[in-house]
Amino acid sequence: MKRAFLGEFEEVVLLTVAILDEGAYGVSITQEIEQKTGRAVGFSTVHTTLQRLEEKGFLSSRMGGATAERGGRRKRFFNVTAAGRKALQEVKQVRIDLWNALPPQTLQLMGG
Amino acid sequence: MKHPQNLGPPRWATRLLTGWGHPDTQEEVQGDLLELYTHWVETVGERKARWRYVLSVLKLLRPLAKQTKYQYPTPERPGEEPRTTFFSSPDMLRNYLKIAWRNLVLHKAFTAINVIGLAVGLATCLLIVLFVLHELSYDRYHANADRLYRMTIHGQVGGKEINTAEVSVPAGPALIQDYSGVEAFTRLRQDGTFIVKHDHESFKEEHVVFADSNVFNIFSIPLLKGRGAGTNPKTVLTEPNTVVITETIARKYFGEQDPIGQTLTLGTAGLFRVTGVCQDVPSNTHFHYDIFGSIRSIQLRNTWLSSSCFTYVLLRPGYSINNLQAKMPELVKKYIGSEIQELFGISLAEFTRKGDVFGFHFQPVTSIHLHSDLEGEIEPNSDIKYVYIFSIIAVFILLVACINFMNLSTAGSAGRAKEVGIRKVLGSVRQQLVGQFLSESILVTFIALLVALGIVVAVLPSFNQLAGKQFGISAFTSGWMLPGILLTCLLIGLLAGSYPAFFLSAFKPVSVLKGSVRAGFRSGWLRNTLVTTQFVVSIGMIIGTLVVYQQLHFIQNKKVGFDKDQVLVLHDTYALGPKANAFRAELTKLSQVQAVTQAGYLPAGASNSGNDGFQSENGSSPTTTYREKTYYIDENYLPTLGISLAQGRNFSKAFPSDSSAVLINEAAAKRFGWKNPVGQRLSTLGNGSPESRHVYTVIGVVKDFHFESMHQRIAPLVMVYGADNYQMALRIRTTDIPGLLKTLEQRWKAQTDNPFAYSFLNERFNTVYQSEQRVGQLFGIFAGLTVLISCLGLFGLAMFTAQQRTKEIGVRKVLGASVASVVALLSKDFLKLVVIAIVIASPLAWYAMNRWLQDFAYKIDLSWWVFALAGFLAIGIALVTVSFQSIKAALTNPVKSLRSE
Repeated sequence: MKRAFLGEFEEVVLLTVAILDEGAYGVSITQEIEQKTGRAVGFSTVHTTLQRLEEKGFLSSRMGGATAERGGRRKRFFNVTAAGRKALQEVKQVRIDLWNALPPQTLQLMGG
Repeated sequence: MKHPQNLGPPRWATRLLTGWGHPDTQEEVQGDLLELYTHWVETVGERKARWRYVLSVLKLLRPLAKQTKYQYPTPERPGEEPRTTFFSSPDMLRNYLKIAWRNLVLHKAFTAINVIGLAVGLATCLLIVLFVLHELSYDRYHANADRLYRMTIHGQVGGKEINTAEVSVPAGPALIQDYSGVEAFTRLRQDGTFIVKHDHESFKEEHVVFADSNVFNIFSIPLLKGRGAGTNPKTVLTEPNTVVITETIARKYFGEQDPIGQTLTLGTAGLFRVTGVCQDVPSNTHFHYDIFGSIRSIQLRNTWLSSSCFTYVLLRPGYSINNLQAKMPELVKKYIGSEIQELFGISLAEFTRKGDVFGFHFQPVTSIHLHSDLEGEIEPNSDIKYVYIFSIIAVFILLVACINFMNLSTAGSAGRAKEVGIRKVLGSVRQQLVGQFLSESILVTFIALLVALGIVVAVLPSFNQLAGKQFGISAFTSGWMLPGILLTCLLIGLLAGSYPAFFLSAFKPVSVLKGSVRAGFRSGWLRNTLVTTQFVVSIGMIIGTLVVYQQLHFIQNKKVGFDKDQVLVLHDTYALGPKANAFRAELTKLSQVQAVTQAGYLPAGASNSGNDGFQSENGSSPTTTYREKTYYIDENYLPTLGISLAQGRNFSKAFPSDSSAVLINEAAAKRFGWKNPVGQRLSTLGNGSPESRHVYTVIGVVKDFHFESMHQRIAPLVMVYGADNYQMALRIRTTDIPGLLKTLEQRWKAQTDNPFAYSFLNERFNTVYQSEQRVGQLFGIFAGLTVLISCLGLFGLAMFTAQQRTKEIGVRKVLGASVASVVALLSKDFLKLVVIAIVIASPLAWYAMNRWLQDFAYKIDLSWWVFALAGFLAIGIALVTVSFQSIKAALTNPVKSLRSE
């Protein structure tokens, strides 16, 4: 069965876009990820991932209005598409299924 | 971070992003980065912010990305026209390369010829460039190279010119004392070879010198270890009997031990303490000493009228050498007048009135290697002439390779004419076509460069051997070499591609497609000129090679006046000391040995050399002093070397009076103006003191023999009775030379623990002409390569013509032409060019080779057959190259060539 595979970083980016809702664009996404996950993320990495996600159809984008900051250059805002939401759901479901399949004693051992 | 606003993100990075970023996301990426940059400046500081900015830009470059979606202008977003493909846009570049590659693959034979020809040319050129750059770099690395000069003596005494690289011992100190413009001087004093001992090991060291203590300040040879290393190298050679050795020597004698404070025994000069270790003297230096002793360790003759020290002068910055030069007559007057009075018995004024001259001169240290050819040079120097010759050859070879390239491209253009027509019809602009042809030729050049580098790596060891250098692969990656190579290749590609590019792109599509332009072969005159040029160069090189080899053959087989075959020379027999005589007697008894002589003075290879002033006691002009070469020989010398007497007798033990007898050569008899030299008397000047003056009687005249290289005429020579046991020469008579050598070595080892070393006189004789031999070999190789490249080109052209005229040949054959006539038809055009080339090349080569031969006092005459032979060779080679194709074309069945229409 062919299903769009979602990499770990892709998942994080996709989720962040969902969290930021209307205000998701390159910089805010990068900074949000850095804050939430505490890991240093390169802007170029995020940018590339966003491109890829858009190609896969998980994200859609539109250009915002011109702003006075950033040299008058417009922002590209991202939205999660229906496919993107579905993919996130699937990933989450897989995780939950896997966690549920864990034997209770192992779960205890892991401190859960 | 006082003005965070002042410094924005690096502008070049932004520009890079604009040019090469992904066109689809340009705007927002730039905006995002700007925003982030402001954020970074606030959080991590400006320096890091700029760094991160640049890093992000670099990661975001997508040089080959294409715009995927064209956004049509909207009311909010007007402007932006559809992008047109400029000839240098990434899209077009990609397309050029693709088409170029397909074309190259399609015409495999042409591509191969082009690439091979160009690669061979480039490889040769690279090697020559390496060689030439190395030659030009001699002594330029010294920190003060521009202010450093070597003092020389130029003068004339008794009609004989004196040009020595060594000058008087007191000259250096006098200069610094009298002239404030002189900052420092250093002297190098050679004292021959030494047997160097440490513990029980001993080696013969040839590169030993005694130097003033500041030698490492004057020449930039870094001291690695030793007192004051790095900070003050001045202190390492101040005391007597101290030495500084090179790394190599340190490893040779002391291994991993620290050499500082250890001792070495230098021959008879005594025990020396090592006070320093210096780096090996760089290969591009005019001397290569391994052991530097302090000059205070040896006795120096403190007289002005002898030359014994290489003296280097460092001028103060801004002080011109011409100033110093202008003061030299003054110096000569001040110090040398009295010595001349003492030695010749005349005043300096009288001395100069007689036409004699004595003067000091200076040469820049950087010019020694290529421009200096004086008596007593430290090492045989190279000659700027050869730098020129090889540079010209490099240019020629590259030219020939480029011509090939151009020729084949223009010839191939006929086939491309239709392609150009179609492209133009479909909307190509001229720029794009030019771009396409240029990228094709540049691609070929770079493929050729890769092949050339491969060739260079493969032949580098043999080239090193041939040229006497030690180049590594690293020579190509250092400094400007690599960018230079790439740039040159780009230029060659542009140059070679320019003609076809502009010529082809100018076609009118209508006429091309109608077929009214037989493109390509209209430009015959240009191609003919180029082919002729190639053959002029090739023929010139063939003639050059023939002449060089002829001259070498002439030198090596000329009657030298002594019998150089079957003479074995034992080195360093002085090490035997008093046992030498007994050893000689022992060797004489061997059945394989005919005669043995003590031969410190030899006409070839390592030899002592001496000069003395002579006055004829009863000759035509009694007061004239001649400075002549002197040999000290024993009674066995003449028979051992096979030198024959013209008059008189050899030295003999039977005449006790022979201690004041001399032999002279015919040239000397002529110089002194004697009809009957035997019985004439000569007096020597010695060093001026009465006890060093002698009066000699001439007892015989030897036939002239070449005791110097053939570059010079045979000079007068005076041979004095008295042996010099520096070496021994043995006339041998055996076919079992290894056996004899074994015996000799055993006898030698029984006497001394010094190393056993020997050479053959004829080999030593040949090494005198090593540089000529080297030139001969290199010339031969280069000539061969030039011919090869030219022939490749010719082959390609012939192949092309044959293809072009397939139909014509078919028709001719159907109408009854014979194979021979077709071959003649196809070959005739090329042969005409070769003949024209011969006519042009012969006088040029004649002129050039005549100039080269001027250097030899004994030389061949340029004979016509050399030119004829070169011509025939060229015609022959061209014919073979062309006929392969023409015969193939002539033999083709006309049915095959005609059936397509």
